[in-house]
Amino acid sequence: MRWLSAVFAIASNTCRDAIRSKVLYVLLFFAILLIATSATLSTLSYIERDRILQDVSLGAIRFFGAAIAIFVGVGLVHREVDRRTIYTILSKPVDRSAFIAGKYAGLVATLWALLAVMSLCFVLTSLGSHAPLDAGHAKALALIAAELAVVVAFATLFSSFSTPFLAGCYSLGLYLIGHMTRDLLAIGQTAQSEMARELTRWVHRLVPDLEAFNRSIEAVHGLPIPGAEVAWTAVMGVSWIAGFLLVAVLAFERRDFR
Amino acid sequence: MREGESIVRVQGLVKDFRPGFGLRKKRVLHGIDFEVKRGEIFGFIGPNGAGKTTTLKILMGLIRATEGEAQILGHDVGETAFREHIGFAPESPYFYDFLTGAEILDFYARLCAVPRKRRRERVQEVLELVGLGHAADMRLRTYSKGMLQRIGIAQAIVHDPSVVFLDEPMSGLDPVGRKEIRDLVVRLNADGKTLFMNTHILSDVEMICDRVAIIVQGRIAYQGQLDDVEGGGERQFDVTFSSLSPDFAEESEARFEAQLSGRRDCVTLRVSQKHVSELMQGALAHGAIVEEVLPVRAGLEALFLDAVAGKLTGDAK
Repeated sequence: MRWLSAVFAIASNTCRDAIRSKVLYVLLFFAILLIATSATLSTLSYIERDRILQDVSLGAIRFFGAAIAIFVGVGLVHREVDRRTIYTILSKPVDRSAFIAGKYAGLVATLWALLAVMSLCFVLTSLGSHAPLDAGHAKALALIAAELAVVVAFATLFSSFSTPFLAGCYSLGLYLIGHMTRDLLAIGQTAQSEMARELTRWVHRLVPDLEAFNRSIEAVHGLPIPGAEVAWTAVMGVSWIAGFLLVAVLAFERRDFR
Repeated sequence: MREGESIVRVQGLVKDFRPGFGLRKKRVLHGIDFEVKRGEIFGFIGPNGAGKTTTLKILMGLIRATEGEAQILGHDVGETAFREHIGFAPESPYFYDFLTGAEILDFYARLCAVPRKRRRERVQEVLELVGLGHAADMRLRTYSKGMLQRIGIAQAIVHDPSVVFLDEPMSGLDPVGRKEIRDLVVRLNADGKTLFMNTHILSDVEMICDRVAIIVQGRIAYQGQLDDVEGGGERQFDVTFSSLSPDFAEESEARFEAQLSGRRDCVTLRVSQKHVSELMQGALAHGAIVEEVLPVRAGLEALFLDAVAGKLTGDAK
């Protein structure tokens, strides 16, 4: 109970801190701008206007959501250490695991609130352009929310032992590889070298498959997104989050705050 | 725990740091031992870089000891739950400056699981205690250094701990600010709290501490009662007068074997305790005004300098 109380206190404070970030508002502004102007962009085409509008909008939500997650996430723990606010927190009856969990939960809550704002813009733009909306769009947005939670988890992990710059490089690298891991696996399997095939298999196992969270194409084209697949992807996401946060806690437990 | 019982116990504490990525270790604490007893104000003093803050950070669980034991209230410092009974104010604290004084204290009270009903009342109480009642709704970015130092102490006591650790609490403060913090420390002690004060300002230690430990280059060079530090000689006092006639000053210098010093229109006579009363009566009869009477504790400074110069060994403890 005390652990949860500390997590909640740190999470709510992290939300208050995060919403002060100017970077966050700049990115949110551009995301909303892109979603709002997607209606204009779609008029450039005579066919599939609705699909272009929704494809651009969902792409903007995913891109800017991930950018905010990485930009804010990589400084999440480091900033507390650098500003020495961590001294007064960890000298209280607060486990280091509660600190990591609180910082993580706070940023995820902030991102989900921003996602809600962007989703609202998406819905309003679609309704304004008479583009169809169904459960598939809701599932696609839910999976974007899950993907952002995974991105924040690995950004938190890198932030727990590294500087924001390095943590940013690691996070961006992992995000890009995470979206290419299926392609890498496919390319690797066609390679002549057994080592290359094995290497791509290991990359696929060790790196989260972030493309699994991308169901925008199905949503935009009105194709079915089975609930079981969404649930399985969510379970996979939760496992990755648990794994990243566990490693973050282990790394953080060993740290000396000099 | 009873009066005089050990509240903080440190035995054989060793800390090695590995500078950079090298394999060589640098030892900053060389097996230190000391203890703090219930109800005392304990001064942990030493020159810059002696290992004071490292020791305090080990006690606060911020860094891990390489060897040795450190206990607070009978608990190993690696534990977490017992920390509801301790408070810590770091040196030059930085807080979330987008919060107000009341909000930051509420945050720390929540971390210590102070019940919601009690929190608001306690936050107000503590703000009044540290003299920041008027600044409760001001954002911390508008606070002065002295106010931040006081909010640092406020967050350390918001959950009403029995032991409070202060790292350089008077650092960077003007004389008024220093006095306010000293008064606060004395008041907390009067409320029954044990205080551990990390500092290198000897005058503050002399004024408020009961016991001291001197750490030099990662080793405890001395620990004992402050009264013992003052030595067996008779206590000396500096009595400062204004409007003191030069004749009387010279006469008193000879009569009481006093040391005379002066600045502007004030004259200070350093006399032994037994002559203070007679000197003051005589001076007042000659129309002088008593500006201040201060005890002279040259013993701690001498001891400190001896410790820094390496003239004290472990046996001196």
